[in-house]
Amino acid sequence: MGLLYFFSSLYFGVVGAILALLLRVQLSVPNNDFLQAAYYNQAVTMHGLIMIFWFLSPLGIALFNYLVPLQIGAKDLAFPRLNALTFWLFLAGGLMAVLSFFVPGGAAAAGWTSYEPLAGPVFSPGPGPTLTYLGLMMMAASVTVGSVNFIATILWLRKPGMKLLQMPMFTWFALFTVVAMLFAFPSIIAAFLLVLSDRLLGTVLYAPPSVLGVPGIDPSLLWDDLFWFFGHPEVYIVLLPAFGVIADLTPAFTGRPLAGKNWILLSTAVIVLPISFGVWMHHMFLTGIPSLLQEVFDASTEVISIPFGIIVIMFILSMVRGRVQFKTPFLFVIGALVLFIIGGIMGVFLSSPVLDRVFYGSYFVVSHFHYVMVGATIFGLFAGIYYWLPRMTGKMFSEKLGRLHFILSFVGFNILYAPMMLMSDMPRRIFTYQSIGDWAQLNGIATIGAFIFAGAQIVIAYNLLHTWFRGTPSGPNPWSSEDLEWSSPAEGATPAVHVESEPAGGWIGQLSSAASVSPATGGGESYSAGVAGHEVHLSSRPLTLSVGVMLFLTGAALYPGILPMGLMLLGVVIVGYSMVGWAWDDIRDRFTGPPEMEGGDRWPFDAVSKIKLGMWVFLSSEMVLFGTLLGAYVFIREAALQWPAAGSVHDIPLATANTLVLVTSGFTMVMAIYAIRKGDMRGLLAWLAATFVLGSVFIGVKMSEWAGLVSGPTPFVPGSTNAVTAIAASVYYVIVGLHGAHVVAGLIILVYLMKKTTKGGYTKERHEAIENFALYWAFVEIVWCFVFPLFYLL
Amino acid sequence: MYSGVLSTVPPTTATWDFLFNWYLIFGVSAAVVIISMLMYVALRYRAKGKGAPSQYKPTGWKVILAIVIIMGVVLAGAGYQTFAAFTNIDIPNTPGAVTVKVTGFQWAWNFTYPNGQYAIDNLTVPVDKVVILNVTSKDVYHTFGIAMLDVKEDAIPGHVNQLWFNMTQTGVYADAIRCYQLCGIGHAFMVANLIVISQSAWNATFGMQKG
Repeated sequence: MGLLYFFSSLYFGVVGAILALLLRVQLSVPNNDFLQAAYYNQAVTMHGLIMIFWFLSPLGIALFNYLVPLQIGAKDLAFPRLNALTFWLFLAGGLMAVLSFFVPGGAAAAGWTSYEPLAGPVFSPGPGPTLTYLGLMMMAASVTVGSVNFIATILWLRKPGMKLLQMPMFTWFALFTVVAMLFAFPSIIAAFLLVLSDRLLGTVLYAPPSVLGVPGIDPSLLWDDLFWFFGHPEVYIVLLPAFGVIADLTPAFTGRPLAGKNWILLSTAVIVLPISFGVWMHHMFLTGIPSLLQEVFDASTEVISIPFGIIVIMFILSMVRGRVQFKTPFLFVIGALVLFIIGGIMGVFLSSPVLDRVFYGSYFVVSHFHYVMVGATIFGLFAGIYYWLPRMTGKMFSEKLGRLHFILSFVGFNILYAPMMLMSDMPRRIFTYQSIGDWAQLNGIATIGAFIFAGAQIVIAYNLLHTWFRGTPSGPNPWSSEDLEWSSPAEGATPAVHVESEPAGGWIGQLSSAASVSPATGGGESYSAGVAGHEVHLSSRPLTLSVGVMLFLTGAALYPGILPMGLMLLGVVIVGYSMVGWAWDDIRDRFTGPPEMEGGDRWPFDAVSKIKLGMWVFLSSEMVLFGTLLGAYVFIREAALQWPAAGSVHDIPLATANTLVLVTSGFTMVMAIYAIRKGDMRGLLAWLAATFVLGSVFIGVKMSEWAGLVSGPTPFVPGSTNAVTAIAASVYYVIVGLHGAHVVAGLIILVYLMKKTTKGGYTKERHEAIENFALYWAFVEIVWCFVFPLFYLL
Repeated sequence: MYSGVLSTVPPTTATWDFLFNWYLIFGVSAAVVIISMLMYVALRYRAKGKGAPSQYKPTGWKVILAIVIIMGVVLAGAGYQTFAAFTNIDIPNTPGAVTVKVTGFQWAWNFTYPNGQYAIDNLTVPVDKVVILNVTSKDVYHTFGIAMLDVKEDAIPGHVNQLWFNMTQTGVYADAIRCYQLCGIGHAFMVANLIVISQSAWNATFGMQKG
């Protein structure tokens, strides 16, 4: 799984790098005509999106997948099939993004920041941007599922005796990264959900005032807030895996423990939450927010540099009185730290609203974020790749080539980005420029640096391939590290230590023959004995589910037409088949996940089961999603100077009755739990059925309610000629609709639960799924208790 | 780009330059100090032969406190200087200030003067007078910036953002004004000229008619 992520992310990295080189060629001289404006804008947009979402983070996730289980002594992640799902969702999303170049109109071209209203259907029409953003949503879904998985794994699957503070640093940083992901990604999901609703369903959530004509509506600030609330934590999400690598590696090359390890952990915990979520408006200094707010976010941004300062100094102190070895991995660590220091200090310049009046939208910003996101992050991840290569392959790479790679990369990188510090009057994202001042020379130098930096990567590619096929064996622990991952044999180790590290036919063969394989040990076992640190996927469902979703969404983006409709239909069929198949697998208990360890360390969740922990984590993310959406609703409503009066649109008595129906279904769910806790099967089935009926009534009433809303002389629809109605309807249907989708999902799961009950799948002792579903159902109810008053009563 | 062209420095530029120099001195010093420390430590403690490492001292809270205090003081100083420079951002209450409406649209700038006259891609202002610009957009998100005066504000549909400056020298400054937010395929061409003329000439052409 780690290897799958690794190679896929490298592929996307190459795509992103090619886009960057195209840009640099176009900008190398003034008035160039290598790339026209439209293509340039697509290239710059997709370069950003692909590099951030499909290269940098997945590369970190690849290392998490590979190393976290090894480092904590677990056999696999907590939810292996969900892990497979995260990979296929990521890959499918990336393919959709790349595909968007080839549809009429081309890919998204509004910058990776996708500001509104430029990125909406009015100013960026066509299927391309829609396809790009849908791919991004698949990636966001992948990240959400993945973070649930990693949090559950790290908190729940540590080997006996490994307390939290004894975990390796890399695993700690993995935990920090996924926690940040869990709380940040719902915001971007909400942001893009609204965009996609505008693009696909004709809502007017980000409609520009010039089109909608309603005074007060503020699509740009709505987008800014939703996007940057995610966007700022996101950059730390990208960075933290690299810091984790540095923290993990440094002791091996300095011959002494990390300095101030607990201070590093504390500093990161303080950055991850809450401060990284409290600086986002420094991207919005020029939007017209009051001076006081600008000063507040200036202060918060400055504050966040203090923990980073502590961390960097701790890394430096970790060399004091050590024995520093300048092997390739550590060269990259040093390089990463130097580049982070430069980029980080540039960030302090940008924290000043007054200085930002020059730097905003200029190449100074471009320089800053590439120093931290490429310099610190990539150099850190390179260090990790070199460091763990012996573990992954059992062979040692060429040190000479590693040093060459480092020198070329470091030199090329600086030639590329240092000149941009002097280009603070040149706007970003312009496809060409007149010959002004020293722009031509600086741009030319930067382009040369780009090609050196890109060319340097050929060295590592050659080094990796050569090592894989012809490298000298490295021995089990070439860096003399004490971390756990070195105590088990490497993949492809010498025959004396025989480990079945790759299933017969390779992992590709394993995945495609999945559905027909029945485990040799029958029923419950999903692992062949002796597989060390390399999970075996025996289910094809994650793959087919992702493929089905991809087909459906691609069809939706390209709609209308026969081919798109066909794709959507095919996608629905495959999704249905996958989900039914997955449910059947569960009913027959084909997969039980990694074996639970007796006495494994699980503090502070000793009493909570693994699946329940996963459900709680997932629900936290859902809370942020609905919270953000409701926040968007409040924002829209505040901005619009008019709104339909309470009671003028909706049938309040009917909706109130419906609310009672839903609340009652929560009560029946509680009764279901009581029933199974007593071992009463029939009672369980009866109460589940009652819940199902009540839930269906809720949906049925809602559908008739909506039928009434959209019919009649003045329909309450997003396409209404009355602009205020259009907005109110848009936000109503999206949020109430999303809640309804959650109810429907619950109903589908109820069918599965009832079916499994009839097959005797639940007992007095083992009925986790029922309790977890009840949690989910309760959450859905609670959300309704917020949605109902906000939309119906106020 | 126009640095060095002006013999008298406009107030917004002076304020910005002072602030920037402050940040620059501390920023470069910090970078030099920390990177030197890193290089020194790395080289001083590099592995020589096979000896065991000497005894290291665990990092105490005093080091952390020192870092926090030093960084806190420097950052507080920077923040204080920035707050003091908010005069660049806050609109002054100068009587007799001239107001021009700026509307960005795909892909040019419309300047509308007090007497209702407008011009595309040419902003003409009186010399030595506080000029207040009311910036907005007709369609998508643009950003209006004059690099030589160190002022910039977003041009957002539905919003009016204000900026001010005081140009101290007459002249024609071609391409002094640019758009700094990706706004479509014409983004690179959203460029305007800044023209500074005498107050009487300006009043005659663009000023509010009296009487």
